[in-house]
Amino acid sequence: MFVAFVVPAASVLLLVTVLPLIYLVVTSFTPLDMTNPGSLRWAGLSNYRQLAADGRFWSSVWVQAKLSFWTVTLQMGIGFAIALLLNGRMRFLELVRATFIVPMVLPPVVVALIWKILFTPDVSILDWTLGVLGLPQPAWLADPSLALWAVIVADVWEWFPFVMLMLLSALQMLPTEPLEAARLDGASRWQVLRCITLPLLKPTIVVAVLFRLIDSVKAFPHIFIMTGGGPGTATEVTNFYAYLQGFSYTYIGYSSAIIVVMLLATLLMSLGVLAAAGGEFDVE
Amino acid sequence: MSNRSSAWTATITTLLIVVVLCPVFFIVQMSVRSGLEAFRMPPTLLFTPTLQNYADLVESKFVRSLMNSTVTATSTTILALLLGVPAGYAFSRARFRAQRVVSLWTLTTRMAPPIAFGIPFFLIYKDLGLIDTRIGLVIIYLTFNLSLVIWMMRAFFDGVPRSLEEAAYIDGAGITTAFVKIALPLAAPGLATTAIFTFLLAWNDFFYSLLLTRSEAITAPVAIVNFMNYESWEWGKVAAAATMIMLPVVALSVVVRKYIVRGLTAGAVKG
Repeated sequence: MFVAFVVPAASVLLLVTVLPLIYLVVTSFTPLDMTNPGSLRWAGLSNYRQLAADGRFWSSVWVQAKLSFWTVTLQMGIGFAIALLLNGRMRFLELVRATFIVPMVLPPVVVALIWKILFTPDVSILDWTLGVLGLPQPAWLADPSLALWAVIVADVWEWFPFVMLMLLSALQMLPTEPLEAARLDGASRWQVLRCITLPLLKPTIVVAVLFRLIDSVKAFPHIFIMTGGGPGTATEVTNFYAYLQGFSYTYIGYSSAIIVVMLLATLLMSLGVLAAAGGEFDVE
Repeated sequence: MSNRSSAWTATITTLLIVVVLCPVFFIVQMSVRSGLEAFRMPPTLLFTPTLQNYADLVESKFVRSLMNSTVTATSTTILALLLGVPAGYAFSRARFRAQRVVSLWTLTTRMAPPIAFGIPFFLIYKDLGLIDTRIGLVIIYLTFNLSLVIWMMRAFFDGVPRSLEEAAYIDGAGITTAFVKIALPLAAPGLATTAIFTFLLAWNDFFYSLLLTRSEAITAPVAIVNFMNYESWEWGKVAAAATMIMLPVVALSVVVRKYIVRGLTAGAVKG
């Protein structure tokens, strides 16, 4: 009987997600070019062969790796530190929770715009403050060695509250007995954290890392608005490179191949994170 | 807890709140300053706020894009709820062998960058004439909204006791009656939360609108970027537009703040 409740949603889901992804994979085996309607023909693995030899693709993978590594590490580090700090301080909790959700619910476009303005010399209060403090005032977004950091800062600001709120609610649900027992046995704060709190939090930490990692691979609006992939290709992540290939240069077939490879890599990476966490995870 | 450490916590907490909110205040204050005033450094603390930027916006095409955002986000929410709520209920009350497949698939679609759906939808829409239409956006938003509704509602229905429905079955009610008359009203808060979430995600979308609209169906997040390029960086107006886009989002999410993290990880792995 319940089947009737599921059928409409399942068929629509099939129609809007499964079929398009099949179409994407098929397209990746063609040299489809939007300016040339006759180009939707089978070309075997030629896109993938081209991809393996494409230096700009590999450079985009490296930029992506740097972006993912730093955003996830900083978000986890800052989020965890603040969660530990606030745990047990009920007085601040409601206020903090109401405040901290603001960055992550803002439209990504607005986040990107705010940070674009903040990182633009002469018009930004950040730039002015650095000047007053006698610090260097770099042109963040125009400097190849700093542009990626500007994007990382915007992303960390947007998402560390997510990690912090997740870990905070997990901390509040921890059983108190083992913690008290350890303290009675004379364990130091650091020992309690390392030997008891961390292992108990592991499932939450794994989920947080997984979600941040997945989302870091999807980074688009920040790069589109703040840097346009530049200067040069300094902030050109794989996702953005695929967009350029498909929609600026019209090579849809090649673009699809990039995305298929990216999707497989993300899937493997996620399974890797779950496996590293020790296989005790089940998909809900 | 000693007084000193509590004072430290208070200081650090205040500092954190300032860091988190400052960039947002920065753009809001910029939106109520007149043209050149916005960038005078050092910033003047005392200034006469002006709504000129907003007045200019209301007379521009930006209003139309706000309208498109509202209509597409609302329609996709209604559609996703109509399809997804019964499915979420069924997943909560019955066990299907396909359930695991569906949840693995949900996680996979969650991993796909928007362009993975963007490319095939773009090609199909070009053939169907759905480029630059609101209905086109509404359909593609289902790629992420439908599974979100299913998993969020499933969790909310799990929290509704079955006993009342079982009593109704004994009285001869069918599954549909039990669902509509009993379970659904009890899950109303969850329904509202899910609706707000779906609306927010569609409202915040940038990529699909960038790819699939041109001028007729363009939504506010893309309009603001175009606007930035054509109006030669009129920062005051850009700031006012950004403020208008984020206001409903901030207001709605404060209402559902307890569920934000749960919603963002819907369909996730469970330890």
